[in-house]
Amino acid sequence: MGYSVPRKFPTTVVGSYPKMPSALEAIKRRRSGEISESEFNEMVKVAVRDVVEDYLWAGVDVISDGEQAREDMVVYFAERFKGYSVGDWVRVFDNEYFRKPVVTGRVEWLRPITVELWEYASSISAGRPVKGILTGPYTMIEWSFDLHYRDRRELILDLAKAIRREVEELVRRGARYIQIDEPALSTRPWREDAELLKEALDIIFKGLEAKRIVHICFGRLERILPYILDYPVDQFDLEMKNSNFRLLAYLKEYGYNKEIGFGVVDVHSFQVESVKEIKEAIDKLMKTDIVSPEKAYIDPDCGLKRLPRDIAKAKLKNMVEAARQAREEW
Amino acid sequence: MSVWASPLGGYPRSRVVRRALRDYERGLLGYGELERVVGEASSLIIGSQLSSGLTYVVDGMVDWHDIFRPFIESWRNVTASGLLRYFDNNFFYRIPVFTEKPEASKLVWAPRVRRYAPLAEPSGLKIVVPGPVTFTSMSINKTGYSNEELAEAIAKLLADEVKAAIEAGASMVQVDEPMLADHDATRDEALLAVELVNSIVASAGGAKTALALYFDVPRSEVYDAILDVKANCISLDVVDAPERALKLIESKGFSDHCGILGLVNSRTIYDDPVDKLVEVALRVARSSKVGEMGVTTTTWLDLIPYSYSLRKTYLLGVLTLKIQENVGVAGGV
Repeated sequence: MGYSVPRKFPTTVVGSYPKMPSALEAIKRRRSGEISESEFNEMVKVAVRDVVEDYLWAGVDVISDGEQAREDMVVYFAERFKGYSVGDWVRVFDNEYFRKPVVTGRVEWLRPITVELWEYASSISAGRPVKGILTGPYTMIEWSFDLHYRDRRELILDLAKAIRREVEELVRRGARYIQIDEPALSTRPWREDAELLKEALDIIFKGLEAKRIVHICFGRLERILPYILDYPVDQFDLEMKNSNFRLLAYLKEYGYNKEIGFGVVDVHSFQVESVKEIKEAIDKLMKTDIVSPEKAYIDPDCGLKRLPRDIAKAKLKNMVEAARQAREEW
Repeated sequence: MSVWASPLGGYPRSRVVRRALRDYERGLLGYGELERVVGEASSLIIGSQLSSGLTYVVDGMVDWHDIFRPFIESWRNVTASGLLRYFDNNFFYRIPVFTEKPEASKLVWAPRVRRYAPLAEPSGLKIVVPGPVTFTSMSINKTGYSNEELAEAIAKLLADEVKAAIEAGASMVQVDEPMLADHDATRDEALLAVELVNSIVASAGGAKTALALYFDVPRSEVYDAILDVKANCISLDVVDAPERALKLIESKGFSDHCGILGLVNSRTIYDDPVDKLVEVALRVARSSKVGEMGVTTTTWLDLIPYSYSLRKTYLLGVLTLKIQENVGVAGGV
């Protein structure tokens, strides 16, 4: 079934979506060893269906599987790459904890990780493209402990090779959008770190026949920006709303010329942005004259996983309507 | 030169504490029982520091969700809002939202000090408060007052906190201003921070006081301003960016302050190279000519798992002992 992604202001998502009860149950049962990986994926598909239905209801053009299988963006991959061990509990916020993985051996890709759920989401997306979304190597190393390499460059390059294998699988099965999530990059906005990631992205994206996206959010985006403009990517997907669009002036100053994933929905706020508010954000982007409407993807700042489902849906619905109105004007 | 040790700040929660807090939040556990669990956990953490020979110990602050939260919950006109990343960590704090100048409805530290200071003997109990500049810059200010005015109001409440904590038996006061180590921190912010930290430590009587900067190394012009602080000690992370840190210390020293060195890496889980760190401490001692040196962790210990925080506490003790053997004498409370 074909679906025509709008030429101007296509709408998309960054990736994660509020966890459905079936996904939470599947994660719990897999962790306790009650179910195998294939049984786990089957259980999670129920959740993925719910997510995709929400996206279709809202009218999002380029969707995801909602990352329903991912207990955490780093843990999910660490548990499936060779070389990682299950870590001990470390706090993320309040009394919420995650098991911070530990690198205890050489990191290698073993088998497809995200492919089955990506294929499933694609099969029920009514033709809408589904992004293949992977946690990037920089974030993987920053949010893991390392007891094996003790050399960041060596570790990040091995991670890049492992991620590349997963990317190849996704593209071979038909993925047209590959997004690498690097939320950790903006927290350590130094040239050396940006250059390290560039080296890794060269491995991940080299010769790839798909749209190459890197998502970065929060932290000091404006500080990292000058160091990343020559990354081998088609699009940077950027958090904008939460930081009150302050990055726009920097994008203008640095002569930004790639596509942009333009964050217009604050994922940290339960307040649903109105259509008018989102439309004004898109207008602001256009008036800054950085990219054309064809190069502007409209999306939330980041994953929606921390929001209640009804609020996430409402935000997406308004975002889609605002993009529709913007298409008429620009 | 006297050398002593203290962890920089809070500890992670053990499994028992995590479960108790979760059950309390779900209404499955009463407040009294939660207090008992937290008290036992804090006692264990204090015990681990005592057995490692640390001079100033902390109660672990295991019931704090983040550095700002207990103060937000004890003050009027401020609430905890959405989550935001805490510096360069995969840890998020809740953004304080001030709608008016804050007013205290209760004290955070004094009751804790009364409870834990006796357990800390013969070491002293250290209290830690967030610096007013960091507090303000990491908050949303809807008061109608300037950030400077809000920071002044926060400093006043923190000074009251310190005064009451000292009266209750605290031995050391540490004001955390990690924002000043940020690359974007300005000299004006540092000058304001120094003025406000001075007003806070003035309430500490004769207790030892420290201004702590971590997560990065302050820029030279910011550090110049910091050197005027009237706290006894200045604490710097020497491990995260060692060359920059040592360059700064070697060029500027600690003025007439005691220097506290963040040497035990509290964001990694491997055993720190103690002998190498002794060399770093000796290098600092030679170049800065400090008369007193504190040895600490690079940041709070709550960014690593509980078991590793205890291991790091032990390593902090071993490292301090080795430095003492090389350069000086043990410092006491």
